[in-house]
Amino acid sequence: MQDLVNAMADMMEDKVIELTNQYLDEGQDPVAIFRAYQEAMEEIGRRFEANTYFVPELIMAGEMMKTGSELIKPHLKNDAEDGPAKIGKFLLATIEGDIHDIGKNIVGMMMDLNGFEVMDLGVDVPADVIIEKAREFNPDIIGVSGLLTLAFDPMKGLVEKLQEAGLRDGFKVLIGGAQIDEQVSEYVGADAFVTDAVAGVNICKEWMAA
Amino acid sequence: MSDMSEVRKKQDAFLDKWVSGEGIEFVSEEAKALYQERAGLLAAAFRIDESIKRVPVMPMTTFAPTMMKGISGKEAMYNPDAAGQAYVDFCETYQPDAAGAAPMLMYGPALETLKYNLYKWPGQGVPDELSYQFHEKEYMTADEYDKLISDPTDFYLRTWMPRTHGALAPFADMPPVYGAMELPMLGPWLIGIGAPPMQEALKALMEAGKQCFDWINTMGAYLGKIMAMGFPFYAGGACKAPFDVISDSFRGTTQLMMDLYRKPDKVLEAVERLVEPMIQTGIAGAVANNNPIVFIPLHKGADGFMSNAQFEKFYWPTLKKVMYGLAEAGCIPGCFVEGGYNQRLEYLADTSDIRCMYLFDRTDMAKAAETLGGKVCIAGGFPVSMILTSTPEKVEEETKKMVDMAGKDKGYILSIGCALDEGKHDTMLAFCNAAKKYGVY
Repeated sequence: MQDLVNAMADMMEDKVIELTNQYLDEGQDPVAIFRAYQEAMEEIGRRFEANTYFVPELIMAGEMMKTGSELIKPHLKNDAEDGPAKIGKFLLATIEGDIHDIGKNIVGMMMDLNGFEVMDLGVDVPADVIIEKAREFNPDIIGVSGLLTLAFDPMKGLVEKLQEAGLRDGFKVLIGGAQIDEQVSEYVGADAFVTDAVAGVNICKEWMAA
Repeated sequence: MSDMSEVRKKQDAFLDKWVSGEGIEFVSEEAKALYQERAGLLAAAFRIDESIKRVPVMPMTTFAPTMMKGISGKEAMYNPDAAGQAYVDFCETYQPDAAGAAPMLMYGPALETLKYNLYKWPGQGVPDELSYQFHEKEYMTADEYDKLISDPTDFYLRTWMPRTHGALAPFADMPPVYGAMELPMLGPWLIGIGAPPMQEALKALMEAGKQCFDWINTMGAYLGKIMAMGFPFYAGGACKAPFDVISDSFRGTTQLMMDLYRKPDKVLEAVERLVEPMIQTGIAGAVANNNPIVFIPLHKGADGFMSNAQFEKFYWPTLKKVMYGLAEAGCIPGCFVEGGYNQRLEYLADTSDIRCMYLFDRTDMAKAAETLGGKVCIAGGFPVSMILTSTPEKVEEETKKMVDMAGKDKGYILSIGCALDEGKHDTMLAFCNAAKKYGVY
């Protein structure tokens, strides 16, 4: 199914759907077809890191993956439905006061495609809600997004509240957003900061492997 | 393309008129001299004039002047006296070389009248103490490109405004304005205008217009005072890169990025179609305010958002056309280059035959100075994180470094790479003072 892998990696959306339907009609193993999608995703990630691919390709990849999953799912046997074991749990939110979600959504999608179980709390989420959900979901990593400079203090507040609750050591805290840099990361007390989704995935994978 | 030396002459004439301060009633001769000195510094930076005396300093602000005084975002958007006075105080305290455009705060009551939903604002979707925020959604569907392309004005009026301005939803049922062409066809058009829901929508539009008119009459006194005290404004008009109009306001980023693959030809036609409307919008503001600088915030062409090949195809050609169209009318396109443009600097160097400015956000300023220095006016680059989380000493030190590095070619304006929603007094003061201390040539 190298042709399917290549078509997806090359952003040929129509061809991907055509090949998927063809393989399903031929009675090929749906798990193998799904694996071709995953292989293509890995290639897309590599091209992103090599600065060949950018946001449009990540969005297209997510879209193709979504369509592909819908096509393949009815053919999967029940026991295979859960897919491979997840490599970690990721709690995601745009911090209180900020309603921006483009970057956050791309991060959520990429984390999910890379094997994380993702809980996305949406935008404008107060620290207390993040902490409450963290207690329930028990993530490995809390990812907090914010586009505005007004997000810095609420992010700092979240880390302080985690500390006060005695929970800080239980989670890695990753922050991201347009105005986030080393200076802000230190100010907030995060474990790391990133300014793009693939970098975020990579750092989370490193943490899980450590 | 016009003869570029003629275009520059036209730009210089508008700049000279602006620098002269004609029509402004200054509080004193000293204030007039200060105004001319400050606007003159900016004009010299735009011209990359070898004789410029000092690096001008121009902190861009939205809510910072109000928030730094403890005025909530809501108060700033609902009380033009409080907002105007805060902008006056900001100028008095920090003595910048150019003042921020206070009307960019907008007037909350008019937005409420219009049931505006393109943004959320304090008290209407965001907490009272914060700033307004863009509420991006798919306000134009994928199959509506032809509507936009065939008639942008009709698309604005009857498709986009009804979706983004709730009170104007009945505009969707308005018959096309072309019915007004002749007496026998005029009746059906006017009947559409007379329908009760349409009448309500028109009343809302009139009311919002009146509210904004009263608002600017109140705020105008403070804006006049700012100029009378000797501070020029850093923008006369504003417009956008055609690609950003479609991405931000019409399709939404995610949808447009997919369109680049699914219907690239339509995207290209649409951005082309928006060039002239953007030029005319920019010129109108500049002329009305007697200020040649047209502010163009750049969004989705930044590093990461697309490849250079995509930038070259979808983003840059029409932005460049807008910039040249503005320049031909004597305006100074001032691009606020949000995000990073480290991969794109070479393109920007293409516009060295007109007067224009690129104010950078996260771009590496050493690289920007190296690629663009002496060719076009560069500005900004100072990290907002330093202003908000660092010390005055560190800010002074970093400002000196920035001025030395980016200012070496004399076409640099010191600014923070972000329209400030907030600030800290001691670091802001250190920043503005350091420009005057270390920026002297």
